[in-house]
Amino acid sequence: MKVYLDAVSTTSVDPEVKDTYKKLLDEYYCNSDALYDDGVAIYDMQEKARELIENYLGIRKNEIIFTSGASEANSLAIKGLALKHPEKKHLITSIYEHSSVYNSFKQLENDFGYEVTYLPPDENGQITPQAVEKALRPDSLLVSIMQVNNEIGAVNDISEIGKTVKKHPGVYFHTDITQGLGKIDADLNNADMASFSAHKIHGLKGSGALYKKAHIELLPLISGGQQEYSMRGGTSNALCNIILAKTLRIALANKEKYHDQIMSLHEHLIKGLDPRVTVNYDKGLPTLINISTPLTSEVLLNALNEKGIMISSKSTCGSKKNEVNRTLRSMGIDEDHAIRVSFDYSNTPAEIAYFNETLKEILDKYA
Amino acid sequence: MPELLYDHIIVRYGELSTKGKNRKEFTRQLTHNIKKRLSDYEQLTFNTLHDGLFIKLNGEDYLKIREDLQDIFGYAYFAGAIRVEKDIEAVKKVTLQLSETHNVRTFKIVTKRHDKSFPMRSDDINRALAGNILHNTSLSVDVHNPDLMIYIFVDKDYIYVMDEKVKGIGGYPTGVNGTALVMMSGGIDSPVAAYMTMKRGLKIECIHFASPPYTSKQALNKVLTLAEKLSVCQEEINVHIIPFTDLQLAIYKHVDESYCITIMRRMMYRIADEICKRRKIKVITNGESIGQVASQTPESISVIAKVADTLILRPLCMMDKLEIIDAAKKIDTYETSILPFEDCCTIFDPKNPVIKPKEDKCLYYETLFDYQSLINDCINNDEIVKVSYREKRREEDESVF
Repeated sequence: MKVYLDAVSTTSVDPEVKDTYKKLLDEYYCNSDALYDDGVAIYDMQEKARELIENYLGIRKNEIIFTSGASEANSLAIKGLALKHPEKKHLITSIYEHSSVYNSFKQLENDFGYEVTYLPPDENGQITPQAVEKALRPDSLLVSIMQVNNEIGAVNDISEIGKTVKKHPGVYFHTDITQGLGKIDADLNNADMASFSAHKIHGLKGSGALYKKAHIELLPLISGGQQEYSMRGGTSNALCNIILAKTLRIALANKEKYHDQIMSLHEHLIKGLDPRVTVNYDKGLPTLINISTPLTSEVLLNALNEKGIMISSKSTCGSKKNEVNRTLRSMGIDEDHAIRVSFDYSNTPAEIAYFNETLKEILDKYA
Repeated sequence: MPELLYDHIIVRYGELSTKGKNRKEFTRQLTHNIKKRLSDYEQLTFNTLHDGLFIKLNGEDYLKIREDLQDIFGYAYFAGAIRVEKDIEAVKKVTLQLSETHNVRTFKIVTKRHDKSFPMRSDDINRALAGNILHNTSLSVDVHNPDLMIYIFVDKDYIYVMDEKVKGIGGYPTGVNGTALVMMSGGIDSPVAAYMTMKRGLKIECIHFASPPYTSKQALNKVLTLAEKLSVCQEEINVHIIPFTDLQLAIYKHVDESYCITIMRRMMYRIADEICKRRKIKVITNGESIGQVASQTPESISVIAKVADTLILRPLCMMDKLEIIDAAKKIDTYETSILPFEDCCTIFDPKNPVIKPKEDKCLYYETLFDYQSLINDCINNDEIVKVSYREKRREEDESVF
């Protein structure tokens, strides 16, 4: 039996998305900026996709910049904004952001002379509007706080944080909604920019977007032509971009459709855990639970892998580096023993049961 | 806004300006336009009033309807309303509830009593309701500058409670003054002219001169997109696409370069005039503004317009370019208009266009070629495209999305 419990890392491609993408691949190969009919048709579909994505996200008359994924969107938002506005040198983020956010700030700090405040989560694992308020300074330019943490699933109130930031004119608020998208609602009315990717919501890899209010100026990171409001040059990955609208539509519909199933899987998982397991964090996203066992995470992952269970101990974007785990350390969780179990609507109760049983067997044998 | 409390919308038609005698026709057209605009909301039921329209929501989304209603010309204002039994205690309860949904400090109650047999006078109603709110909340009354106005309308069978009046965008009900043909290039001016035409109660059709391959499909699409945007005011717009290439080439072959634009404009007017006659359209409108370009000097405009019998109105003629741009932004056509596709006026841009053309010279140049048969070809090949915001013009493969 193969059981995939690493949904926060990536997801399978939705069959409808896959079929439509294949169909588009066969039909449309033209450059979306070409002026003949087929090129214009692709261009029009891409613009339509932009409009639909805006609608789905509940934002209007703004810009959707298609990118290769959330990492690029995060980099463009943060570095693009900071480098365009060098007159203000103070930036605020959290200590437990995804590496694409964290390392963008690190780069600005180390190579471009910016000063960055890294906010730690509170005892609930959250970055509060109050903490943001306290960190703001007259020379602050940007606040970037993720909606859902990718290691423990903590959920931040980006609406309230956005409101707090909006009280300070001239400060922008960016949020990485990659892990929350299709799982919990995001009120983006107070956000100036938001990043997300397709592959976390059963879409294609190499596809994502940055939502940005139209008036905000960024320095493009990729120089090129007129594509994406001249913010990101290069021949458009038009079909990927077009299919993102459908991906998002299905994800949002499934969020409602499978809500009860998700809650029941969550209950199954928690109730069936072996008593030797400690739940490190379970106050956020129901589909992501961080646990520790007496075994080191490396040993446990190997043993689970033997049994066909695919699971990660930490963010896969940092899985091959021996860096400290910023999230777990900031929460005082022993990173050597922690693993994150994540699932979604494509998992079954039988798979959760299998995981719980297998975990028990492994602990019996090795712990 | 406590939109969840509303179960009705009351639209008030107001004075409909000065046209006393035509009032009945105005009211009929306005009611028709509103019903058409809201036809997607299947659950709505309508009841005409002496001076407006009662819309029962039956669960439809007030906020969406609120937005759509603001595309319609001719009414004075509308308001989301809560229907209450004709019992002062019931009204007290609702007004209190309403006052609590607003984050305000002061309020005022205004009662209108349509049913004079109701046992309480307007002033008594105001006092009773205000007293109840004062007693149960920390709000205070401010009769001059209240944060919140609560309107009470005592009708025959029910009492209606409202807390906002959304002003209409003015104008006359589109269609009440007949039809106009708008000359639409795709630039910034003509959509504004089209909007102002509709606002005066004229239904519009558009005429566009296309000169492929000198003008592109995108230029044509731009015009259709503009018409689609404008169609929210009148549901559907006929766009006449005139194949203009042959006539235009003939002009450039036979006419002195300085007069090309003048003659071209005269041909456009001739075609528009003929289409108006055939379709019984009484007015031509366009985006001409005095002095904007060589063909829009007073001399040019008068020489050019001589060829047409139909009444020509130029809504923008006394407006500054910047005013026109502001107006275009307001009606959301500006961004489309500035897309960089050439129209037939810019394609053969003469170096020295005549600023004060003479009619006799025009007449002379027009003897040099058989323009009438070319005009006939244009009119006979007039392609009429129906454009509506409801149906996307381009065939879209819905399964893609």
